[in-house]
Amino acid sequence: MPDMRFAPPNPLRIADRASGLNAVSVRSYNERLLLSLLLQNESISRFEIGVKTGLSAQTVSVLVRSLEQEGLVAKGEAQKQRGRVGPPTVPISLNPEGAFSVGVSVGHKHTDVVLIDFVGSVRFHATLPNPTPDQNSNHSDFLETVKKAIQLLPGETHQRLAGIGLALPEPGDGAHNDPTPPDLRYSALQEEMEKEIGFPVFVQNDITSAAGGESMFGAAKPLSDYLFFYLGAELHSRLILNHQIYYGNSSLSFDVGIASLERNLQEINKPTEPLWDRAGAWPDYGKIKESWEVSLVEQMKRSFNALAQFVEIKTIVLSSYAPQDICGAICENLESSLIGVKAIAGSITPSPKAIGAASLPFSSRFMVENKEK
Amino acid sequence: MRSVLCFGDSNTHGQMPGGTPLDRFGPQQRWPGVMGRELGPGWHIIEEGLSGRTTVRDDPIEGAHKNGRTYLTPCIQSHTILDIVIIMLGTNDLKVRFNQPPSEVAMGLGCLIYDIKELSPGPGGTIPEIMIVAPPPMLDDIKEWESIFKGAQEKSRKLALEFEIIADSLEVHFFDAGSVVACDPRDGFHIGRQAHEDLGVALAREVEAIGWANEHV
Repeated sequence: MPDMRFAPPNPLRIADRASGLNAVSVRSYNERLLLSLLLQNESISRFEIGVKTGLSAQTVSVLVRSLEQEGLVAKGEAQKQRGRVGPPTVPISLNPEGAFSVGVSVGHKHTDVVLIDFVGSVRFHATLPNPTPDQNSNHSDFLETVKKAIQLLPGETHQRLAGIGLALPEPGDGAHNDPTPPDLRYSALQEEMEKEIGFPVFVQNDITSAAGGESMFGAAKPLSDYLFFYLGAELHSRLILNHQIYYGNSSLSFDVGIASLERNLQEINKPTEPLWDRAGAWPDYGKIKESWEVSLVEQMKRSFNALAQFVEIKTIVLSSYAPQDICGAICENLESSLIGVKAIAGSITPSPKAIGAASLPFSSRFMVENKEK
Repeated sequence: MRSVLCFGDSNTHGQMPGGTPLDRFGPQQRWPGVMGRELGPGWHIIEEGLSGRTTVRDDPIEGAHKNGRTYLTPCIQSHTILDIVIIMLGTNDLKVRFNQPPSEVAMGLGCLIYDIKELSPGPGGTIPEIMIVAPPPMLDDIKEWESIFKGAQEKSRKLALEFEIIADSLEVHFFDAGSVVACDPRDGFHIGRQAHEDLGVALAREVEAIGWANEHV
């Protein structure tokens, strides 16, 4: 029996100089653990990684070196911390160019397509008309739309593309007419798209996507527990506890969203196009908008108070396609009537759902568990 | 106070390019001294550089005392407690008399890593941090040393990859000195004054990057 200590070396990783992303199968649990920390924190030192993961400094060293060579991780400049005894800390963070992801969100009126880098910056955004139903297939026109979107991406990003995230609304926009459970529906669509497009495809409910996006790249990044609202055509909500997004079986939504405002405006023949332009600003709609906001905030308070019977939540995050000043005003309104509660407007532009969808390939391929279901 | 053991050969000893073991850079100029300066107070630097040292091989010509493995144990026990052991070896193993491929040199290094882990000279009997430093590749022109090192130049360029594989597989720190310094053209395999400075600074940054808990001073 040979002394196995001196068997040929069996490296934790292949110390080669190849470029491009490693195959999904070889990404170890520890690598995912480390990448999860980096996706959840802007930067972190190797010492902090060791404390948070329980891995030895030497193991962390091997992992960081591996991810550096793969181009996923970048070393920062050493920082001497004021008041701290001992050597300076060297922060480690994600390399923005390390990985890219495509997010597609099928919305009320348009389909949004984004390309984001590894730290969530939008490199590309396009708005396409929604795919129209095809007689012969459920998805063929849809596939064309997604393919078209990918063709718009710069060629050199293709080899570092982690995948495509697809955010879909519940069928029937609130009316539950499809008895198939979402999981099954999504996996069927995922399979069809992967075959056609050639990149891994991850499908998710669109509201959950928006919550995931705000959690990974937006205003909710530092938060672990909060009530999440998405203001779209309707008002939707999710509960986030310990970074985990609870979806459950409920896709309850409330008709107090932008669609209800649109109807009110149409009745008096006001233009409603600006309502659906996230980048633009809403004109002064006067009293109509004020009364709409009152009913919206009332519903948000009802949801919050209902939830408060079961869990103590101190923070509300409001994400929306609507302009940020609109959301900011709603948050102020909420805060003034809910004592001790902080309401934060989401910070993701232009499309929280599409960017959230794009965060899905990152969480699926690089994090320890896919938290958003 | 943290202790760093710098275990190496003539390039840790500070031998001047084109000189003999008696022609030595000063304590502040050698890379361990530079590293100590960069790390600042609170770090104790122990220099253990021997000209001609190999990883695990008795040298039939220069003597059995060149064997890094036999000296490592008394050396480490003499200097215990150690927070980190930095090993930069490998060039001398490429001499013609040993007839070894780069992978075998890396295996020798692996022995040293195992020995350190078994000795556990870290605080409280723990395994200290271990950092493998691959020496910079030799230059093609190594002057009168050509006969002793024939064929070593090509092998020396492969040491970094082989060392990194062994460092990965045994889970220790790794640094490629060739990424910051080159050998001096005066003899083609020793590093000059500026290279000592650059290497010392780079290794100080590597040591800091490991991340250390706050010490109550």
